[in-house]
Amino acid sequence: MREKMKTPDQTQFIRRIRTALGHAPDVTREARHLFAESPSDEDLQLQERIHRRAAEDRQALLERLIEAGKPINLNVTALPDVAYATAAILRLAAEKKPEWGEAKSIAAWRHPLIDRLNLVEALDRLQIPVHLTGPIPVDAGRAFDQAERERQRAEIIASFIGVTSADFCLADTATLVMRTRPGQPRSAALVPSIHIAVIHWDQILADMKELFALLRWDERYRPEGLSSYMSFISGPSKTADIEATMVHGAHGPREVHLFVVTE
Amino acid sequence: MSDISTEKYVEEAKRGIANTVLQKALVGLQDRFGRGTAEAYRRLPEGPDLRLKAHEIREKAIAHLDVLLEILAAKIRASGGYVYFAETAQAAVDYCLAVARRNNVRLVVKGKSMVSEEIGLNPALEAAGIEVVETDLGEYIIQLAGETPSHIIAPAIHKNRQDIADLFVQKLGIRRTTDPPALTQAARKALREKFLAADMGTSGVNMACAETGHITTVSNEGNIRMATTMPRVHVALMGMERIVARLDEYEIILRLLCRGAAAQTMGTYASYIGGPRRPGESDGPDEFHLVVIDNGRRRILADPQFREMLCCIRCAACLNVCPVYGKIGGHSYGFAYSGPVGAVVTPLLTGINRAKDLCCGETLCGACKDACSMNIDLPRMLLALREKLAYGDADWQVEPASRAEGLAYRGWSWLIRNRRIYELGLKLAAAGQQLLPQKKGMLRRLPPPVQGWTQSRDLHPLAEETFMERWRRTRKG
Repeated sequence: MREKMKTPDQTQFIRRIRTALGHAPDVTREARHLFAESPSDEDLQLQERIHRRAAEDRQALLERLIEAGKPINLNVTALPDVAYATAAILRLAAEKKPEWGEAKSIAAWRHPLIDRLNLVEALDRLQIPVHLTGPIPVDAGRAFDQAERERQRAEIIASFIGVTSADFCLADTATLVMRTRPGQPRSAALVPSIHIAVIHWDQILADMKELFALLRWDERYRPEGLSSYMSFISGPSKTADIEATMVHGAHGPREVHLFVVTE
Repeated sequence: MSDISTEKYVEEAKRGIANTVLQKALVGLQDRFGRGTAEAYRRLPEGPDLRLKAHEIREKAIAHLDVLLEILAAKIRASGGYVYFAETAQAAVDYCLAVARRNNVRLVVKGKSMVSEEIGLNPALEAAGIEVVETDLGEYIIQLAGETPSHIIAPAIHKNRQDIADLFVQKLGIRRTTDPPALTQAARKALREKFLAADMGTSGVNMACAETGHITTVSNEGNIRMATTMPRVHVALMGMERIVARLDEYEIILRLLCRGAAAQTMGTYASYIGGPRRPGESDGPDEFHLVVIDNGRRRILADPQFREMLCCIRCAACLNVCPVYGKIGGHSYGFAYSGPVGAVVTPLLTGINRAKDLCCGETLCGACKDACSMNIDLPRMLLALREKLAYGDADWQVEPASRAEGLAYRGWSWLIRNRRIYELGLKLAAAGQQLLPQKKGMLRRLPPPVQGWTQSRDLHPLAEETFMERWRRTRKG
């Protein structure tokens, strides 16, 4: 199957590389030694460390995350339960002004944690519509798929706040890690001017090393892998292209708020 | 290929040195990033030696490029993406044009990509009647001004806020302001419309990972996430060397990339892209294409002296410490890549004779090697290029750069081996120098053909008594 998909340009290209490297042009070389068939000792230690993390370790990681967020303008707030998160989102929705146009609306992921926030009901009090980005049924036909995608796109573009969760958050660099899946479009964390992410504190990892150890070797995460598009987001969008002056809000969100639920 | 003006190095360097805006910007840039990057390396848990480890990872990947690229291609195809292997710049451009035509593309938004500059993608798309918009703020500014990037990471470093204000008044019709946040907001507004209307997005590739079958892009602005999420089609352009085998290896490269490029512990956005939108997902492109580009890299790969150059990840840390780049600026280098990386890679990609001034212009001070996130020995390769220019090289089709210089050194070599004639010559020169203009005991000007020596400095005159004479005299005494 793989051989069949190879195109002539590829065959020629790879032959030339083999020649340049001083190998026979038509012999496929062994690759197994470049990869790992089982986790290394370091990977095992990392997994062990993640699994054994006690409440005080979590607290320490949370504090590291809050510190790492400061220099990159990421607002991290720890909240005891989801009701506080709903209240905090309500407050932001009331206070903040939309960047494009007057009307306020919010786009929110369909996600177990986000569903628990009851945003549609809560924001109804402020008469702010909440667009839930539900998964698109895969067997509903092309026309429906297209129309549904266009509707969600328009809703996200019109929204001034996007509410998402994340798969993980890396404390050392204050990095949200999101894999793409149905119902959880990445544009919700990109196109609205304000991005609000809500996570549970057991989703906090120390760093990329821990993340990759899980994605590569933990059976809970390995099958899904990195998905078709995995995003790292560390704070709001920024640029320093004009006289090296730091400005937030180049193309992505101008503000990012992260609520960590510690229930 | 895009325009190459490496022959104008000396001329452009003079212009750069005379440009006060550029001089001020370069000082600020090197002050901030040069030091910041060194400090960021020191703060790594593994210390700056992590660069040595990264070098090993990259060398291993380069030595297995055939294997890794085939694995990457197979995985991306299995995820529904297309992969095209382009031997030349023209083949890569033609492929992008074909994709654009097939999808009735009228507007392309571009994420910053040096390889797209290298292959000259913009002019080709524009010639086909397609609007191309650069979306990195710095790239957007220079596109509006009709210029080329002068730094790999900070392309508009040569423009100050007044220049940009005038440009935006003229091109975007805004009220004049020199406030960077207000200027950024004006570009944000204009570019948001483009992102939402574009049919196709293009990006470069910072690094691909064979194990997972992903390419990754890193940006602070979010323009690359926009360009790879909102349009129907995404085309990623990748120099064929930009790959590592495993994710844990990639982790090391990414940490060094962010530190080398902007003294950051992590760029704002890193995206791992493995293919197009999957069923049930509401956003992301319908089509994903990866174009793997050779365009002369194979020759570098085949030469053990220069293969190390393919370890480069274009972080631009070398530009931020280079005393030559720090004076002459990026335009002098006459091609997509400037600074020490340009001084090595441009001659190798575009012709060593043609770009001879680039490698001869550097000082060999070694700052670039210490700053290099991949610990590449750039000074060694600069010397290797100069050696080829001195003696010629059939494999690289290099002609000796200067017959006169070769002759002069052969003459010198003969002279210093013939002591009597040498000493006679010294005597004559010592007598002759009396005729030259002097000030405070220094020679002000030398006669042709060596007048260049005293163009910007004075020269110590020859001593009345040579060392050998003094040796003989004091030994006797």
